[in-house]
Amino acid sequence: MTVFFRLFLLSASLMFFYFFYLYIEEDKYYPGASFQTSNMPLFELEDLYSDKLIINTDIEGAHLINVWASWCITCRIEHSYLVKLSSQGIPIIGLNYKDERRDAINWITKFGDPYKLIIHDLQGELALDMGVTGAPETFLINNGKIIAHYRGEVNEMIWSDVFSPIIKQENLFNVN
Amino acid sequence: MLIEVAQFLSILATGLFFLCFVFSIFFNVNDVNIINLISRTYSHSFFLFLFSFLIYVWLAINDNFSVLYIAQHSNTNLPVFYKISSIWSAHEGSMFLWIIFLSLWGAIYNFSVDNNEPLKARSIGVISITTVGFLLFLLLTSNPFETILPVPPENGADINPVLQDPLLAIHPPTLYLGYVGFVIAFGQAIAFLIEGNSDINWEKQVRFWSIIAWSFLTLGITLGSWWAYYELGWGGYWFWDPVENVALMPWLAATAFIHSLSASSKSSILRVWTILLSILVFSLSLFGAFIVRSGIIDSVHSFANDPERGLYLLAFIGLLVMMSLLLFSYRFTILFSNKRIISLSKESFISINNIFFGTLIFSTMLGVMYPLIYEFIYDQKISVGAPFYNAIFVPITILACLFLFFSIESKWQSKFKISFLNNPLIISVIISLFITFLSFKFYSVSKAWTLVSLFAGSLIISRYILVIYAYLFKRKFVNIYSVLAHLGLGLLIISIALNNDFSSERALNIRINETETYKNHEITFSNLQLIEGPNYESVKADFIIENESGTIFSLNPEKRKYFVRGQITTETAIHASFLKDIYLTIGDQLDDGSWIVNVQFNYFIRWIWFSATLMIISGLFLARSLNRVHL
Repeated sequence: MTVFFRLFLLSASLMFFYFFYLYIEEDKYYPGASFQTSNMPLFELEDLYSDKLIINTDIEGAHLINVWASWCITCRIEHSYLVKLSSQGIPIIGLNYKDERRDAINWITKFGDPYKLIIHDLQGELALDMGVTGAPETFLINNGKIIAHYRGEVNEMIWSDVFSPIIKQENLFNVN
Repeated sequence: MLIEVAQFLSILATGLFFLCFVFSIFFNVNDVNIINLISRTYSHSFFLFLFSFLIYVWLAINDNFSVLYIAQHSNTNLPVFYKISSIWSAHEGSMFLWIIFLSLWGAIYNFSVDNNEPLKARSIGVISITTVGFLLFLLLTSNPFETILPVPPENGADINPVLQDPLLAIHPPTLYLGYVGFVIAFGQAIAFLIEGNSDINWEKQVRFWSIIAWSFLTLGITLGSWWAYYELGWGGYWFWDPVENVALMPWLAATAFIHSLSASSKSSILRVWTILLSILVFSLSLFGAFIVRSGIIDSVHSFANDPERGLYLLAFIGLLVMMSLLLFSYRFTILFSNKRIISLSKESFISINNIFFGTLIFSTMLGVMYPLIYEFIYDQKISVGAPFYNAIFVPITILACLFLFFSIESKWQSKFKISFLNNPLIISVIISLFITFLSFKFYSVSKAWTLVSLFAGSLIISRYILVIYAYLFKRKFVNIYSVLAHLGLGLLIISIALNNDFSSERALNIRINETETYKNHEITFSNLQLIEGPNYESVKADFIIENESGTIFSLNPEKRKYFVRGQITTETAIHASFLKDIYLTIGDQLDDGSWIVNVQFNYFIRWIWFSATLMIISGLFLARSLNRVHL
């Protein structure tokens, strides 16, 4: 009798808590992420290091575009993770946002360069067209189309929860 | 630098609290030296932790934006008062405050209860382990001590504007004081179960603490409801929001608990109820924290969240509840009293009351869980709203009122003869029928439920007024604070019913210098001005209102836009009088230049706050009177 009573108490409360456990697992919600597909806007902007112009056709295939600036504190926190990503072979293009050339170059020499290419967007023209509201933001583009957009710092968790699924789905970068 | 000191102190306190728990489990707690050791360790760890919090408050006052949390929730432009209250404006800081209060209750208990009390050491042990559980939660999953280094931002991101309100600054602290206050009842109950000696009257010691905690909980809920009334601009006082529900559940359990306590502290009757309720109250309080902070339910109160937090809290609460229930099942036999509950005694009425409250708690829990179950099965999001809760709460509350009405004359452990020719009963039934009839005939109250509620409320009020009469003029002994609290209940039921029946609203479409008439009130839109506030700019409208008796007054509703977050808020304008509030909010401007203005007449709303205040004050005085006798 008492054994049954005990078992009943335990299993009833276990079921109650398990019920809520189910919902914690399911609801992983990232307000900064959006997966609307749109065309990469047309642009013509200078390279950070030289006057050479970069245009849409210079970016072919799949890339990450990371919006950053030397005045942005969160970018500094994010930076080490980008360096790690690029060492894993993820091609990242930097979009230097509303920043002085000299400051930006100093910053890169100080903290390391994970970028394949850095676009210097002094006026924030391209950023405006892409719907950037601040730095840092990161886009995933494939063949001239934006397929994912994340507002805020990219880190291990964001990478595995927001970017990895879509990369796997689209079979990009030849990473497993 | 200071922030690291604060963090270190918190970690140290966590270790010491854990030590307290270890002492209370492995050492002989009947040894005076051990009790002293536990008591002293507890106060030391409390002071370390308190010091850590004070450092944090100091950093917030001095705009130390190298602390991430302060940078995200405060701003140099804020007055000092809001700089402090910004600490509990989001998840990490409010958790910090929650734990401070948890350990504060333990510290006051530790300080004021004599070391000879048989359950003290074990209770402190239980309180300590609960505190440790929450401290680990704070430090591991929601660290408020995180810093932005090397370069802190120039200015902070500001507190959410709807929280920049004196009432809301004190709403969370009072509510938290209520929630965690039941840790003492919980600690004592668990200590009693561990001890397993049925001769110890743990209920008597716990009454004082529980009634104080109950008063704070009631106050916290009332303040929240008042704030929602004037700040959100919807004109209601209760929205059956999931988070209001998770505050209501511990309140219902706590109310049943303090009633049950008064029965078991006189004789050990109803002990099973009392023990279970004490576990229920505390776990429902913690469960509320889980619901708010795990983000599984969408609500105006939800904090930004991540799944780890929810998981930790759920595991912690689950462990606590299951350990308690297991312990309860092992000590089941000692809880039975050899006395039987005599029917129609006060104890029997209190058991019925427990059943009513149990039903209400169960239904509320069902309402909270139902959308989740529905989503699970049909993959659609739905919400359970007022109709469901009204359908359950109204009849049960009225039924409970009728039982309360008959139980007033009942005695402890003896049968009470209900004679329907008993004078006070007859008189109050006649008075209530008369009041109900009058309001039906002359005040156009016609909804059946309103009339029934009015009748039930008047029954209680008139019956208790007769009790007060007997107390004052016939020197009959009654517990006057309990009488006043129940009077508050009667008044609350009447005010809610009348508010529901009489209140009305209308959206006006009005231009400057135009006049509209609504229910014999002439409403003139006289002016519109732009105003610059310290951290916002606003549109302020001037309305001149003339009521039926010719009295003229002005109301100035506003719409504010806050600079830092760009958020837009509506500031209501309220003209309060004895019976009704005239409540104005402005909406958007239309293309033709006219404004949408919402006018509401909210009847008896002040009476709702007044009844709640009556209950709170009676609760505090009741606790004070108990304190004189027992401690």
